[in-house]
Amino acid sequence: MIPSKPEIANSERVDPIDCETAVRRLWDFLDGRLPARSREEVETHLATCELCPPHFEFARSMQRALAASAPLPTDGEETRLRERVRAALCRHKGAI
Amino acid sequence: MNGGTDDLMMTQSAGITQHAEQRAAEDSSFERLTMPHLPAVARFARSLTRDAVRADDLVQETYMRALRGWHTFRDDSDPRRWLFAVCHHAFLRGVRREEVYVDAPDDDPELESLATAAAHWRAQESGLVDAVERLDLGPAIDRALGTLSPHYRAAVVLVDVEGHSYEEAAAVLRIPVGTVRSRLFRGRRVLQDLLFEFARDAGFETARAPAVKERSE
Repeated sequence: MIPSKPEIANSERVDPIDCETAVRRLWDFLDGRLPARSREEVETHLATCELCPPHFEFARSMQRALAASAPLPTDGEETRLRERVRAALCRHKGAI
Repeated sequence: MNGGTDDLMMTQSAGITQHAEQRAAEDSSFERLTMPHLPAVARFARSLTRDAVRADDLVQETYMRALRGWHTFRDDSDPRRWLFAVCHHAFLRGVRREEVYVDAPDDDPELESLATAAAHWRAQESGLVDAVERLDLGPAIDRALGTLSPHYRAAVVLVDVEGHSYEEAAAVLRIPVGTVRSRLFRGRRVLQDLLFEFARDAGFETARAPAVKERSE
């Protein structure tokens, strides 16, 4: 992502960070857990570094694939499971 | 004398009725508050077990345990999160029984981030990153999650699959937020390494070299 001119002007006030610092913050950055200043430093670094952006993008792709990896049960599966659980609960209640 | 016996029987009968009514009310609140979350619990169980049959068993076990422990549920608690905690606990018990339980050391999350980056750069140099992109990522992720040890898998599933915050995951796993963070970072690094390994096993690494050559020509 190429920053627009006003962003470049703002970024001049952000302390530059090196690649190691940027990648140490990788997951906190992607999880939205960095303080505003640290986040801005990473964003500025990513806008100017050639090495780091593919790494961040790969991590993001992996997170997206994880989020899509477990669909909810289908209606049929849910009905069958609900009946099974209810039957087990009834048996348990009957036994006490 | 008879009057006293009658009084005692009436008191006992009233006590039994009251107890039955209380149980019926508890059963009713249990069903009302927990059953709507069955699909979410089922998905969580599948993510943890990576096996449809074991997942269904785990869901049933979760609800049985939840019913037995319903008196410990506080009205101000989130039933979904409470069920997830019960489910995770039941899952770990099953894992322990199968003797594949691995204690999770307290890792340094930032070092894990660095290791993730180092592995990525190595993979980039050898063409593996492009290779992973050619993999069918869905099944590869599924397989990799199944390989992850239970503690790391639970943290990754709660945050990356279920979309919980670190704090919510910590409440489900009953561990400090910092431990969630370290297990999550470690789990993600292992997942990334496994994806590269799958790509290498699939022979994509060697397939990358001619492609680079073609482009450079």
